[in-house]
Formats: sequence, C-alpha cells, structure tokens
Amino acid sequence: MRKILKSREINSFLFLAGLIFLVGLINPSFWKPVTIINCFNDSVVFTFLSAGIAFVILTGEIDVSIGAVLGLSAAVGATLLRDGYGVATALFAAVFIGTVVGVINGIGVAVLNIPSLIFTLGVNGVVRGIIYVYTKGAWVENLPADFTLMSNRFLTKNVTLFYGAAVLVVIIGHVILTRTRKGKYFVAVGDNSAGAALVGIPANKIKILAYVLCGIFSSVAGMIYASRIGFITPTAGNGYEMKAIAACVLGGLSLTGGVGSLAGASIGAVIMSSISRILVFLGFSSDYDNTITGFLLLTIVVINTSAQNHTVRKNRHEILLARTAQKGGEKT
Amino acid sequence: MKISFSPRLKQVWKKWEFVLTLIILLEIIIFALKNSKFLMPRVLFGSMNDIISICIISLFVTFVMITGGIDIQAGSIVGLSSIILGVAWQDFGFNIWSASCLAMVAAGVCGGISGFFIAYCGVQPMVVTLGGSFLYTGIGLLVSKLSATESYKGIGGFPEGFLRLSKYRLFGIIPFQVIIFLILAVLAYILLHKTRYGREVFLVGVNQNAAEYSGINTRLIIMSTYVLSAVSASVAGIILTSYLGTAKSDIGATLTLPIITAVVLGGTLSTGGKGSVPGTALAAVAIGTLRFGLPLCFKVSQQYLDIPVGILLLVIIIGRALLNRPGLRVKTVIRGRIPHK
Repeated sequence: MRKILKSREINSFLFLAGLIFLVGLINPSFWKPVTIINCFNDSVVFTFLSAGIAFVILTGEIDVSIGAVLGLSAAVGATLLRDGYGVATALFAAVFIGTVVGVINGIGVAVLNIPSLIFTLGVNGVVRGIIYVYTKGAWVENLPADFTLMSNRFLTKNVTLFYGAAVLVVIIGHVILTRTRKGKYFVAVGDNSAGAALVGIPANKIKILAYVLCGIFSSVAGMIYASRIGFITPTAGNGYEMKAIAACVLGGLSLTGGVGSLAGASIGAVIMSSISRILVFLGFSSDYDNTITGFLLLTIVVINTSAQNHTVRKNRHEILLARTAQKGGEKT
Repeated sequence: MKISFSPRLKQVWKKWEFVLTLIILLEIIIFALKNSKFLMPRVLFGSMNDIISICIISLFVTFVMITGGIDIQAGSIVGLSSIILGVAWQDFGFNIWSASCLAMVAAGVCGGISGFFIAYCGVQPMVVTLGGSFLYTGIGLLVSKLSATESYKGIGGFPEGFLRLSKYRLFGIIPFQVIIFLILAVLAYILLHKTRYGREVFLVGVNQNAAEYSGINTRLIIMSTYVLSAVSASVAGIILTSYLGTAKSDIGATLTLPIITAVVLGGTLSTGGKGSVPGTALAAVAIGTLRFGLPLCFKVSQQYLDIPVGILLLVIIIGRALLNRPGLRVKTVIRGRIPHK
C-alpha cells in the first residue's frame, strides 16, 4: 500500500485530482462530468506526444524533433487526404515519416554517440525546413469532412474515439514496459546504459527502438492534430516538443532516465493541456497559461528533487546510525 | 605523401577554431563569386543586424554549457527584457536608459532564480530552464498587459538616442551593434580564458566534486553562469528592441535553437568541461553568414533557412563523431556494445 502511494504516477494522478477538486471548489460548474472528461479528451494530441517521448526519456535521452515530426506528418497526411487518398494511406505515410526520423535520431544518438539534445536539435531544423519546402509555406486546407468529423466521434457517451484509442495504447505500452522482460530493458538502459550493456541488454538497439516508437507516436499525434484542427500551417507543432517534455516531467518522469512510466506521462499530458481550460473556469484570461505552466513545473520539480535529496540523506544517516549501534553492541 | 608542418602550425591546424574560420572564408568566397554585392562592407556588416542577438547570447551560454548545464530560457528572457524596457519607459515614465538598466536587472534576477534551483536544489538544468522559458514568456505577456498599448502592436516611438544604438555606424560602415558584440566577445574571452573565475568554470564542468574539494564554491559558480547568460540575453533584447523600434514580449521566441546550435558548433561539449569563446563567436558568425548569404546569393527563401543550418549542424557533429572514433562499425554498435570513447 505504501509502495503504491509512493509511486510517481499515483502522485501526479493525485495532483490532477486535487487540481480538479480545488477548481471545483472555486467554480462548482467545473465539477460536471462532461467538463472533466473534456479535459481528458482535449489532451489527446499531447497524450500521444508525451507517451512517445516517454520511451526516449525513460532510456535517458531526449528528443526535441517531435514537434517538427508532428508538423510534417500532419502536413503530408493532410495533403494526401485532400488529394483524395484514404485515411489508411495517409496514416501509413505519416507513420512512415515518423519511423524514418526515429531511425535517423536513433542512429545518431545510439550509434554515433552524439548528445541527444544536439542531434535531435539538428534534425528538428531539417524536418521543420522540409515542412516549408513541402507545403511551399502555404496552409493545407479543405480536408475531407469525414476525416475532420472523426475527431467528434464518440466511443462511449462522452469519451471521444481518439482519446479511447490513446488510453488503450498507453495501457498496452505501460503493461509492456512494466510487465514484460523486453519492456523492462527500457528502464534498465535509462538507469545505467553501460551497466545494461554489460549484463547483455542490447542497449543501443533499445535506444534506437525508443526513438522509432517516439517518431511513430508523434506522427500519429500529427494525424489526430490534423483531424482536430482541420487545417495545417507550416508552423504546426512548433514548441510542442517543449510542452511534451514538460508534461512528462509533470507526470513524474526523470530526465536523467530510468524513472517514471507511460501512464505518468499521459497524466502529465492531461495536467499540461487542462491548464488553459482551468484558467477559464477560475476567471483568469488564458494569458496566464505559460506563467502557470512554468510555475507549476518549477515548483513540482524543485519540491520533488528536494524531497529526494532529503530521503537520500536520511537513509545515509540511518545506515550510519545502524552501523554505530552494531559496533556499540559488540562492545557490551 | 607526407606533409610536415612545423609543430606550431600543426597545432593551429588541429584547432576547431581554424576549421570554423575556413568554413566562414569558404562561405564568403562562394557567396561573393555568386553575387559580388555580398562583399560590399555595408551589406556584409548590415547582415550582422539580424543575427547579433544570437551572437551575443551564445557567447555567454557557452559559460553555462562548459559547467555541464544548458540554458533554453535565454530566448524568453530576450522578450521579457524587451517588454520590461518598453513598459517601464512608456507607462511608468522611466528614462530610456534607466529602463534598460531595469530590464537588465530583472533579467539577472530571472537568471539567478533559475541558477539557484539548478545549483542549490540540484534540479536538472534542462528542466529548470524549460520551466523558466514558460514562466518568463508568461511573465512577459503579463507585463505587456500593464501597458496601455495592445500587446500585439508592440510599444514603439522610442527616442532618437535609443534608436541610434542600432542605427549608428562607426566610420559610416561598422554598425554599433557589431562593436558591442566585439566588446562583449573580448570581455567574455578574458573572463573565461584569462581569469581565475574562468578556470573555475572549466573545473566545475570537468568534475564538480573535485572542484568542490579544491575549495571552489561550485554552486555559486554554476548560478553565476546562468545570471551571466540571462543578462547577455537582456542586452540582446535591448539591442533588438532598438533595431526593430518596437518592444514586444515575443521577439525572442525563435532564438533558442540557433543559440544552442551556435554554441555546439563552436566546439563546446554539452557534457561540460570543454569549449571556447572564440569558437562560439566564429560559429555564430558562420551561421549568420549562411543565413544571410543564401537568400541574397541563391534566392533561398527565408523560411527554408532551417534546413541548411540544421544540415550544417548535423554534418559537423556527425563528422566529429566519426573522426573521433575511426574504428566505429555500425553493426557492432547496433548489437549493443558500447564503443570505447
């Protein structure tokens, strides 16, 4: 029981629940199930993005090219749809883009051993540029109605089809990561890359796989983005990478790797994307969005790290006490 | 065939700064061959206007990265100091120069807060500056609401003396901003490579524990680098405000990635402990020349410029990775064996 309470994703879930509770205290109309479920529904793009980047962050690396991947796959997918191809073709093209970028990122980081932030930064520039070349700087508009209406389709009474899919994917990913042998490799690599390689885990392969998964998730997020928004600008997804990373941190992942889970990342995504909605219910303008996000992020991280340091110090102290007690016992 | 250089020349040859100088020369030659207008001093120096903020900030972000940190909040501080300057001058009746000082102090405080969390609370630099970039962008937006002017319009109508900060040209050629950049570059060079403080910065980056044990206040050093980079960001913000003639809260939004690109291209290791101010300065100029020359000489649209800069970054880091470990075989690496560094 204590172990459950201490796990990080439960902490962030409690934080989200507390947030909803507090907002409801101030403005009771927030407590309607529809409103709360809509908070979840609206986070679907970020849920996919942060679940994808969670794989990479778990292995101790980072990927700042996901915003550009989202933009490019949304642009390519939307163009195909506009030109009369089916949804399956468009989705396939998008996933293909995500896979290619993921493989490139993975090879650069794992094989060439280049610091991940810098390599993905370079890839980000190139992919973002390709979006401009591909769209010639114009918006992709006039998407077929049945595609854009897809985002309004409901699975049950209130939960949209997309969010249902997101939850399903996150649950599957979470179970694979925490319950299977291969899945645990990700955390092992993130915890200690060299050590994992020494005990026979294909560390670099896992890292490449993480990047590929991250690319695929971001391209799926791109298609959902296209369906929800209905048009694609060349700057689509700009800055989303930072928000996805922030969502992961809010969800209890550590950027040093090896700590956290997919479920945590998706909860973080809900917190992240609910902030502007919550602000509206509290009667603030959405201008406070960034301020609150930054403030939350800093507060949570600082408190978290301080608490961690405190436990480390406490444990050390206890070990020391136990040792001295042992010695004292031997004497008498 | 074996070419023997004198040892001193060999040292120069091996230096990264030399390669960067070659790249810049190559760029200039290619651009000049394509379009002779490029070589006119007025045009060449005028090109600096667009990139001067990247150049200035990256000089001091180098300090941060040498200590093993990273600073992705500099872009948001550029916008914050610009809007503080504007609002203080227009709506609170500050003198333009005292408003500039106020902006710099505010930026220093912002950098100090982030630096404090990083150095004294032990939070990862990437996370703190990520949070900082949200926070300071948000605060910038809120400050702009204090003004009577609509925030999307930006605050304009600055006095002549302030605008001349970016319009004045020494000998009618060299823009004042370039002089500021050169002065700051020399200052940063002396600070990093010639003073005790600079050596301490390097030592903290190489091994923080060792630095701590040898009596260096490592936490203070780390925090100070973030203050330095924030103040340099506000200097860039002030210059950018003067150049554009308007103060807005979002003028620095796109700067983050070019800054990191410049620092990394300059040969600074993101793991810390290695880097140089001349390298960063040269890299920033190389990127700037590329961004300026391609549209002028090859009619490349401004929007496509991310591609060449990204490719330049990728080619150079991949090249460096391959050169450092010539025996690298892709197959063995994919199988999971970590290559020796």
